[in-house]
Amino acid sequence: MNGSGAVARYTLLELSRRRILLVFFIIGAIGIIALGGGLKVLYQVAASNPQSFASGSVDAATFNHFLELLFVSYVFQALAIFALLIAYAIGMTAIYHDLDSGSAVSIFSKPISRLAFAAGKILAAIVGLIVIVGLLALEARAVMFLFGGGLENALTGQLLAVVANAIVVMLIVLSVSTWINNILAAVVTFIYYNVVTGIIATVHMLADGGLIGNAAVRNVFDVLYWLVPHQLVSSAIRDLAKAQIEIAGGATSNQALASVPAPSGAGDIAWWGFTVLAFAGLVYYAVRRRQV
Amino acid sequence: MAGVVSVQNLRKRYRRRDPWAVDGVTFDLQAGQAFGLLGPNGAGKTSVVKMIAGLLRPDTGTVSLFGSDPGNAVARKDLGFSPEDPDFPKFLRASEVLDYFASLLGLDQAERRRRIPETLAFAGLEGERRQIRQYSKGMKQRLGIAQAILGRPKLLILDEPTADLDPMGRRDVRALIERLKASGVAILLNSHLLSEVELVCDTVAILARGRVLKEGAMAEVVPEGSNLEDVFVRLVEANQPQRDHLPSFISDTTP
Repeated sequence: MNGSGAVARYTLLELSRRRILLVFFIIGAIGIIALGGGLKVLYQVAASNPQSFASGSVDAATFNHFLELLFVSYVFQALAIFALLIAYAIGMTAIYHDLDSGSAVSIFSKPISRLAFAAGKILAAIVGLIVIVGLLALEARAVMFLFGGGLENALTGQLLAVVANAIVVMLIVLSVSTWINNILAAVVTFIYYNVVTGIIATVHMLADGGLIGNAAVRNVFDVLYWLVPHQLVSSAIRDLAKAQIEIAGGATSNQALASVPAPSGAGDIAWWGFTVLAFAGLVYYAVRRRQV
Repeated sequence: MAGVVSVQNLRKRYRRRDPWAVDGVTFDLQAGQAFGLLGPNGAGKTSVVKMIAGLLRPDTGTVSLFGSDPGNAVARKDLGFSPEDPDFPKFLRASEVLDYFASLLGLDQAERRRRIPETLAFAGLEGERRQIRQYSKGMKQRLGIAQAILGRPKLLILDEPTADLDPMGRRDVRALIERLKASGVAILLNSHLLSEVELVCDTVAILARGRVLKEGAMAEVVPEGSNLEDVFVRLVEANQPQRDHLPSFISDTTP
């Protein structure tokens, strides 16, 4: 597609100069270092006190491992939040600013198809998101070595899931912001993806875990679940929960893990792929219909 | 002469209940011709040029750009369009905007290296390192004209090209139009500066409320001993409701 490379290149250049993304990145980067450093200091303080591990209920190595699990679990949450913020920030601006400022008038009068323009914008938005979240994840991975490492694969798996989910959010904001004001687009997306879809997924998960006995409710949410995007979850979340329960001395049971999301299966991943294609198609349709 | 633009019975309105913004406009534009599209504010001039540039879809009627539908990207290959109040991606610099647009035009690296500095120099933006968001309206207007000529177009559409320019800028644009016209480029000029239009255009169409009131060669539209401004004011005033020109609190002389 002629021109989509140029659109992607210069959209990325613009994104790299946007202060809001830089601010999110800096806050995320400082937060991860502070979290890792803080937990490590906590360990050092505990280890330097001879009475800390004297009771014998927990030794220094177990405590260190517990802190690492705690750090990784916080990092997962932090990455998910920052990926969402970055997805919203990119989605709200990548196409909307061209339309709102009037840049689109000059761009669309050039020999570039709307399909190539939409493809270039989507490509730039996805690459931008991956680069920023990827850098935060690299930093988190480096900080994990403070605790001796060993959970790097869990981070990689969860990072893929976080980025995949953020891509869906970003595509929804991109398409909605082509029709309406970008702040309104973010609000609509938040209500749709984070509230409505979130509630449906949670009730579906509880029903799956046997916590909701009513068959009618289960059936309704089974249907609804396959009408909304699925948030991908890596096995790390459940593994982490299991390890934390074990380290605290509790026995892991299905009941205890029922409220922890199960890892996404092939069906969920295929549904994610379909969702991405559908929302990318919606972005193209919105750009194609748009008169400037 | 080859037909560059053919507009047939074009109609456009933005909402179903709105009056027609463009109502049955028809004209042709040939290579080497400079065509002035005139009209008061809201006459539909910008809507017409946006339909020619493939930015708006007509409700009825047809537009042909180099024999094709302007919605087709290939038809716009030889089009240069300088919009009214142009704007550009605000975090880019002028040279980056031109490189971006040159890429969209399909110019190769060597051609981009040759054309971009010369185009920037023509626009008086050489050595300008600030990002577009820090530009004045006049600087954006200059860049708007620069990006429109970058691809050596066969049709140049200028929508109010001199509205925000200083006198030197206006002179440069006038010289540019003359030069391009002489080399066979078709020019479509939207402007409120009627003296300028009279100087550079050989054909004009005067629009009001979406309709063409008069169209023809400059010599036909402007009779001997008259000027374009007189003709324009007379025609437009005869075709729109009369207004009190001053509010009563200004025209009232009693304290």
